[in-house]
Amino acid sequence: MNHASTRVNPALQLKLQGWRARLLIILLLTGFATLAARAFYLQGLNTEFLQAKGEARFTRVVEMPASRGPILDRNGVPLAISTPVESIWISPSEAELTADQKKQLGRALGMELKEIDAKLADEDKTFVWLKRQISPEQAAKAMALKIPGVFQQREFRRFYPQGEVMAHVIGFTGVDDNGQEGIELAQQRQLAGQPGSRRVIKDRRGRIVEDIQHLRAPRDGSPLTLSIDHKLQYIAHKELKDAVAANRAKGGAAVVLDAQTGEVLALVNQPDYNPNNRATMKGGQTRNRSVTDVFEPGSTFKPFAVAAALEAGTVKRDTLFQTGSTWQLGPNTITDAHPRDAMTVAEIIQKSSNIGTAKLALQLPAEKLWTLYSELGFGTPPRTGFPGEATGKLRAWKTWKPIEQATMSYGYGLNVSLLQLARAYTLFTNNGQLLPVTFQKRDSLPIGRQILKPATAEMMSAMLETVVQPGGTATKGQVPGYRLAGKTGTARKLVNGRYVDDQHVAFFCGYGPVSDPRFIIAVSIDEPGAGKYYGGDVAAPVFAGIMAGALRNANVPPDAETSGILRRATVDSAPSPPTPSPRAELVSVQVAKGAGPSPRLR
Amino acid sequence: MLYAPNRPMSEVDLSLLWSAVALLAIGFVMVYSASIATAEMSRLTGFRSHYYLIRQGMFIAIGVVAAVIAFQIPVAWLQRGAPFLFLACILTLLLVLIPGVGVTVNGSRRWLPLGITNFQPSELMKLAVVLYAADYTVRKAAFMQDFKRGFLPMFGVMFLAGGLLLMQPDFGAFVVITTIAMGILFLGGLNWRLFAGLIMLLLCAFVALILLSPYRLQRVLGFMDPWADAYGKGYQLSHSLIAFGRGEWFGVGLGASVEKLFYLPEAHTDFLMAVIAEELGLLGVLAVVALFVWLVWRAFLVGRQSASLERYFAALVAQGIALWLSVQTFINMGVNMGLLPTKGLTLPFLSYGGTGIVINCVAVAVLLRIDYENRALMRGRRA
Repeated sequence: MNHASTRVNPALQLKLQGWRARLLIILLLTGFATLAARAFYLQGLNTEFLQAKGEARFTRVVEMPASRGPILDRNGVPLAISTPVESIWISPSEAELTADQKKQLGRALGMELKEIDAKLADEDKTFVWLKRQISPEQAAKAMALKIPGVFQQREFRRFYPQGEVMAHVIGFTGVDDNGQEGIELAQQRQLAGQPGSRRVIKDRRGRIVEDIQHLRAPRDGSPLTLSIDHKLQYIAHKELKDAVAANRAKGGAAVVLDAQTGEVLALVNQPDYNPNNRATMKGGQTRNRSVTDVFEPGSTFKPFAVAAALEAGTVKRDTLFQTGSTWQLGPNTITDAHPRDAMTVAEIIQKSSNIGTAKLALQLPAEKLWTLYSELGFGTPPRTGFPGEATGKLRAWKTWKPIEQATMSYGYGLNVSLLQLARAYTLFTNNGQLLPVTFQKRDSLPIGRQILKPATAEMMSAMLETVVQPGGTATKGQVPGYRLAGKTGTARKLVNGRYVDDQHVAFFCGYGPVSDPRFIIAVSIDEPGAGKYYGGDVAAPVFAGIMAGALRNANVPPDAETSGILRRATVDSAPSPPTPSPRAELVSVQVAKGAGPSPRLR
Repeated sequence: MLYAPNRPMSEVDLSLLWSAVALLAIGFVMVYSASIATAEMSRLTGFRSHYYLIRQGMFIAIGVVAAVIAFQIPVAWLQRGAPFLFLACILTLLLVLIPGVGVTVNGSRRWLPLGITNFQPSELMKLAVVLYAADYTVRKAAFMQDFKRGFLPMFGVMFLAGGLLLMQPDFGAFVVITTIAMGILFLGGLNWRLFAGLIMLLLCAFVALILLSPYRLQRVLGFMDPWADAYGKGYQLSHSLIAFGRGEWFGVGLGASVEKLFYLPEAHTDFLMAVIAEELGLLGVLAVVALFVWLVWRAFLVGRQSASLERYFAALVAQGIALWLSVQTFINMGVNMGLLPTKGLTLPFLSYGGTGIVINCVAVAVLLRIDYENRALMRGRRA
């Protein structure tokens, strides 16, 4: 019966006990209270810890790129500028590219499918550059594909408008915008921008969601004005390049200094390279040979020995020396290329006599010569700040043997860089003062160091002028209308410790106009291979070419009668003091501006 | 109750209804906020930022329609239909497990494809278990003190249903339906010694687990220190906790969550609470908790009222639904706050999800129907 009644009215058997429902609701409410308490703990008490953990995950300090300072020539023409470019990077751990997307991305970035696959190979990585430094347009094309995990970053790329013409002076920067060669490296600190930084919140895909704090504002690099004149540089580059090609030379270099300030106005080397196209660069090409390489200067060094003798008073301009074609000094034989039985000191310079120079040098104590050479900066770096400046080799005088003292006087047994050589010639353009050289534009005249008496310098200048005149070794170094001066040099190369007959370096180092020197130009042609190898034949024409261009470019008025070259040559070689000539009027403007009328004219 | 002579007593418990509506509304907004970034960047959504918003709106609309229909069904019908509904659910759970029929997401086979959306049988199973367990308890009222005839049959049925859920696997749903079934049996008067025994059994199993395989325990308890392996197993939880910490009292503001920006997986489903905590702060969390407490409390009161009217099935259903919603909410929030090990379980009314939203709406409709009938009875009408 019980059973039946249950079926009829089960509710009769069911007594829902109140305590069970109460117990259950209490349990549930306890549960909710626990949640509330936990939330209170997390959101009210433990926030600092949790937020720190959060910050570690999504706040990042990002760099705000600063642009590198431009490099300008002395007239403000840009030689190196930074342009904004984009770089594309990918996070392989996030990106899941379909074959189609890979193809599209490859097309947009100009990459092979294989390249992209290689970049994506390590799926644990979160940052891989896909392509760096592409144009904003190209980057936009890639980003328009909207592929998750592909990002872009603004960078700056260095651009060199003058290309290979300026290559060796300016150098170049690496992909990370740091200077690697040349001025870019030397002045890295001034040029480099200070990237700023800010703290941001990034989403997990690396996009910046929110700026939290600016930590440091980016500071663009300062512009740098060089002493280089881009027109002169262009002229020098062209002249040198043509000469190297015409002489089938291995290389060459030319330095143009401002004769009054010691500023480097132009500096070129061959072979060159295009700094905008790294792919074509080879190690040797990027070397700035005129600063970093040393050579035996040969006869271009003679004026210093002669100057030392004149300064010491052991000789005068017209002191005669027995020369001949060979001279035996102990076991060694010194030879002359343009032999004469006897020469005056002036002729020794004009004809570039090794024997004469050696004899004259041997009359002096070694210490005296050494002092002059080292005062001229040989054996010490020129301190222009240019990276890799060569020091050159000048041995201590105590170790000199007579034959060494003799050979050094005509430029063997020591070595110098072309820049050092050019700098030493400031002696003759500044009344015996040696000027410091610099690649940066000067605001004021530098303080030179008096090394020779002005009269000695003046006398030297007069002798050097005869070199480019008929009877001199460098008649091809003449520019009509101007009085120029200089010295040739032809050095045989040392190969495996022996001087060889078929490898030469041809030099010319000179300046002009003599009445008020404006430019010092040093030229070297390495291993001319087209038959001619004398400095007067190979290097002097380059000097003349550059000088002609430089004078024209600077609107320098001629200081010689165009028709009077021959006549003056005779006048100048005459021992008597020359009479003032009509050209004095011609250069009066120039003279007033410069260091005053040259003493020789008075 | 306020004295309002001109206003007739309402037909249903409006505060219960409004708390459910408020939860749906909060969920609707927060699902959009939590999903907008991921939806915009996902191929699955066609890069449409409104994808989840529109779908959640659709689900709520369907849920409202379903609720209106469900409200028309007398409780007596529900009691009669309960075993059949339960049987149907068992069948769909079997169907889900058939390869090629069930849809697998994240390694779990939980869905049946239904054209534009998927149907999740385990959600319906929760309601079915409430109805079935209530009906069972009423039918077997006489044997509630009897282990063999009162407890064992239910245990067997639940063993079957639970087993099917674990095969998906859906551990969260398994815990919920087991709790519902046990809870209703407990309310129905099942011998309390049996429960004590069950609890003892669970404790013993727990101790055995510690003794036999400490590493397994380690895995279960790994949630207690998510920072130990913050970028591995503790990744999700650690980001959820960071979201809570960032929210502080009043939140970082609607839409301003950082965690939802691809850091916190499942931000719009299982971890919606973390986004609420981050954007709306402790205030938002407590508001949501309060709404749930109110809903559950009112549901219990409806149950008490039914019991006092001797409508025992209705009483057990109302309290069963209250239990269901509480347990699911507690587990979800507990997981979000690091109180419980991470298990996939949505937040009722709020989390994104088709079947869940619709079934939750129907559950509220059933509560309201019971209340409606109670009030009708009290007015002297027949149910």
